[in-house]
Amino acid sequence: MSALAGPPLPQPGGPARLFRNVDILLLLSTLGLIGFGLVMVYSSTHVSTRPFLYLRSQALHLAVGLIVGGLILAIDYRAFASSARILYVVNALLLGAVLVPHIGRSSLGAQRWIPLGPLGQFQPSEIAKFVIIITLAKYLTDRPGPYQSVWDLAPFLGHVAIPMLLIFKQPDLGTALVYGAIFIGMLYAAGARRRDLATLGAAGLVLVPIFWRLLKEYQRRRLLAFVHPTLDPLGSGYGIIQSKIAVGSGLEWGKGLFAGTQGVLRFVPEHHTDFIFSVIGEELGFVGAVVLLSLFLLWVYRGLRIAAVARDRFGALAAVGIVSMVAFHVFVNVGMTVGIMPITGIPLPFISYGGSALMAMVWATALLLSIGMRHQRVGIGFDASPAPAHLIRSMRGPERHEE
Amino acid sequence: MDREVFERRLTTLLAVIAGLFLVLAVRLWQIQIVQGEYFLRLADENRLRITSVVPPRGLIKDRRGRPLTLNRPAFTVSILPTELRHPEQVLPEVARKLGMPVPEIIAKIDAAGDRPFEPVRLRRDVPKEAIAALEEDRMDLPGVLVQVEPVRDYLYGTLAAHLLGYLGEINDRDLAALRTQGYEAGELIGKDGIERIYDRFVKGRHGQIQAEVDAQGRPLRVIAKIPPTTGDTLTLGIDLDVQKAAEDALGSRVGAVVAMDPNDGAIVALASHPAFDPNLFATGITTTAWTRLLRDPLQPLLDRATQGGYPMGSVFKIVTATAALDLGLVNTDTRFYCPGFYNLGGHIFHDHEAHGNLNFLEGIAQSCNVVFWTLARPVGPDNLAKYARMYGLGQTTGVDLVQESAGVIPDPSWKARVWKEPWYAGDTLNSAVGQGYTLATPIQVARLLAAVANGGRLVTPHLVTQITTPQGQLVRRVAPPATGEVRLNPQTIAVLRAGLAAVVTRGTAASIQIPGLAVAGKTGTAENPHGKPHAWFAGYAPTDSPRLVVVALVENVGFGAEFAAPIVQRVLQVAFDVRPAPHP
Repeated sequence: MSALAGPPLPQPGGPARLFRNVDILLLLSTLGLIGFGLVMVYSSTHVSTRPFLYLRSQALHLAVGLIVGGLILAIDYRAFASSARILYVVNALLLGAVLVPHIGRSSLGAQRWIPLGPLGQFQPSEIAKFVIIITLAKYLTDRPGPYQSVWDLAPFLGHVAIPMLLIFKQPDLGTALVYGAIFIGMLYAAGARRRDLATLGAAGLVLVPIFWRLLKEYQRRRLLAFVHPTLDPLGSGYGIIQSKIAVGSGLEWGKGLFAGTQGVLRFVPEHHTDFIFSVIGEELGFVGAVVLLSLFLLWVYRGLRIAAVARDRFGALAAVGIVSMVAFHVFVNVGMTVGIMPITGIPLPFISYGGSALMAMVWATALLLSIGMRHQRVGIGFDASPAPAHLIRSMRGPERHEE
Repeated sequence: MDREVFERRLTTLLAVIAGLFLVLAVRLWQIQIVQGEYFLRLADENRLRITSVVPPRGLIKDRRGRPLTLNRPAFTVSILPTELRHPEQVLPEVARKLGMPVPEIIAKIDAAGDRPFEPVRLRRDVPKEAIAALEEDRMDLPGVLVQVEPVRDYLYGTLAAHLLGYLGEINDRDLAALRTQGYEAGELIGKDGIERIYDRFVKGRHGQIQAEVDAQGRPLRVIAKIPPTTGDTLTLGIDLDVQKAAEDALGSRVGAVVAMDPNDGAIVALASHPAFDPNLFATGITTTAWTRLLRDPLQPLLDRATQGGYPMGSVFKIVTATAALDLGLVNTDTRFYCPGFYNLGGHIFHDHEAHGNLNFLEGIAQSCNVVFWTLARPVGPDNLAKYARMYGLGQTTGVDLVQESAGVIPDPSWKARVWKEPWYAGDTLNSAVGQGYTLATPIQVARLLAAVANGGRLVTPHLVTQITTPQGQLVRRVAPPATGEVRLNPQTIAVLRAGLAAVVTRGTAASIQIPGLAVAGKTGTAENPHGKPHAWFAGYAPTDSPRLVVVALVENVGFGAEFAAPIVQRVLQVAFDVRPAPHP
């Protein structure tokens, strides 16, 4: 292993030096993605009587996200570990509240929002992903293994299952699946045996027929439409077909920013939220799409590097969870717009219009940066839950890099 | 866990994610570079058109499998709002060719404003000449769509029109409620009769065609096609021959005929005259034709068999007789004297003739009013109403048709409530012989008679007996359970049956005897304020094990024996396949 291991690390200094340890590439790629997103949100919504309506709302949420993100960056990430239990309970309560009539608000057949007056609506399931990464990382730290059978993984499965089922009930199939990706990614990194994870995956497949019956009619239609888009070309298949036309028509260089027709006009549904990538593909072409994917890949690479150098098991696993979440989002979302994944209503991180999702992504990145810049002992000696390997590493020092 | 294992796993994770992103990149290469030109063409011209294919409605067959309806292909002309480029040129041209006013077309397009991808049907069943004219100018008419769609064909025109019902374009309210069940804007749904009640079975499922079209909207290539699914077949209890006989026998007179199996409630014939031609509705009825039907004073849309409430006349004596027998007031041999009138405290009620000395059975056979007036007071108005309700009068029968009438069974409290008047002794007398306030539908009377014929079960009349897939697989057997039981001792039923048999063997309906078929029944001549009396006959055959109940009602003609009984006789002859009695 070497790709993710960094160069020799500078020695600890005071709090002022802390920010020098910020992972610049991660920060830049994040800012690049956010900027990209703002431009695309504007591009896909400006044909209207109020061209800045969506952009303004997105920018407002971004501002709130950045302020809170700054706070997350400032406090030691291990504070999250110690408040994991409270976070978990509050999160479950919020998710439950969405399902309660009069509190939760439904739209498009799903009950996902809590109205927050002038701030618009708040979608707890977006924040919940972020929370569950923290609590699962803490839980995995408290029970460090080794995990020698599938039963050793059961408690973690239960830990994720509660919020997952609450979200599934909203119903938000896509977000519930993100939990699966976070779970697999984090447990794999935490040392679960491949065989056991495969068993869980197989068990999940066995449960498919049961979940199939629990799905709403429109969800079933979407999945069927994915398998066979022509089955319902005007309904669920319509989005897939029109999205493919939009993306495909972008060719190498695209039709130019703000020059798209398929996405901006009404042909592609949800073109500023879930299907924003079809606008990107149409307007910026293959080159633009690959640039975007490269930005994401850079982000993922830096995120995993932070996991590799994290000072403790909690930080390392939280970093893996965040990266798994983002990567899964990107793959499923883009895959959906190009017709290789089913439509599940998962937004494109940093890009899609949607305040809660954007804020959650900014906070997740802030946490990632926070883990990264505290990768070595700084100030107060506090390490509640060291990864066993960390001790080995600090004992062995820099010579590890020569392996 | 070892740090090195952890880092190895991170590398694997990175490789997996990079691999997935590579898959995305390859896919993008495929659709943007390899197939890009193709998609660009579709996008530039928005040349992908998806149209819904209307499924043929399920067939409706009679009890012997003979179809009453078919579907025939016809041309439908629609406008696709998304492809309508020059409405100011196109619409007047289309209007001229279809012979419909431009504002009507604009109104239809506006009504579908929020559904720009769905064709707005302008006219169905457009004649070939008009289609030829449209096709000639295809290049100048972008946005105009010509499709072949199945149109309901009611093979026998007005025959059985009321029970079959008719179709109409789905309205916005129904569409909002039914969209999730596969209903689409502009489609025809059942508005009346079994077409309406069983619409979800016969409607079938839409197919879809996804086609590439050129700039003029002409299809170039079908990309995908899902054939529509034909609706399920409805098999009725109706016998086409008996239905025809009933309608022929009714002829041009206003009235209704119901023939029903008294054992299970399956309706064998259900006629109402005047009728309408459901074919008028099969392509969406024109306003003029609709107005004409609505304004017709004879109300051809009214199904007199299930929606018409009539005084029952002497047919109601079955109820009065049941009450008197069941309360122990009379038996077969109870003797009466009929001087031709009845004196109620100085008020004289006249019978149609002086029957002299007669027993109760003869009283039924001769339909002697004096006998029933005599029994009316000891039975009393409340008992009359109670037994009438026991027979299912005053309630809908639950037949599988819409807007069935419940009729009226009066009693003193009903009169106080509705008329704000006390109940007089004369009201009881009138009720006992089916005059006055009592109203019943022919189908209620058929059910009443069926209860006598089958020993007391109140069957649920029904038209559809089974639903099958177009391939013949059984979807559902329709056999609604009896709604109740008329609790009578066997002796009461035996006397009633003997009385009804005597009506035909030597009583008021002796003229309709059928050689080889023993018929029982009751005549009725219901006086009413609208002219001549309504003629009734309600009968069943054979008398020992009844297999068919037939009720005929003719409005404002005269005696039941003279005008209604021969209709029942004709229906029975056809139903039991016995040759008509030679006329002397």
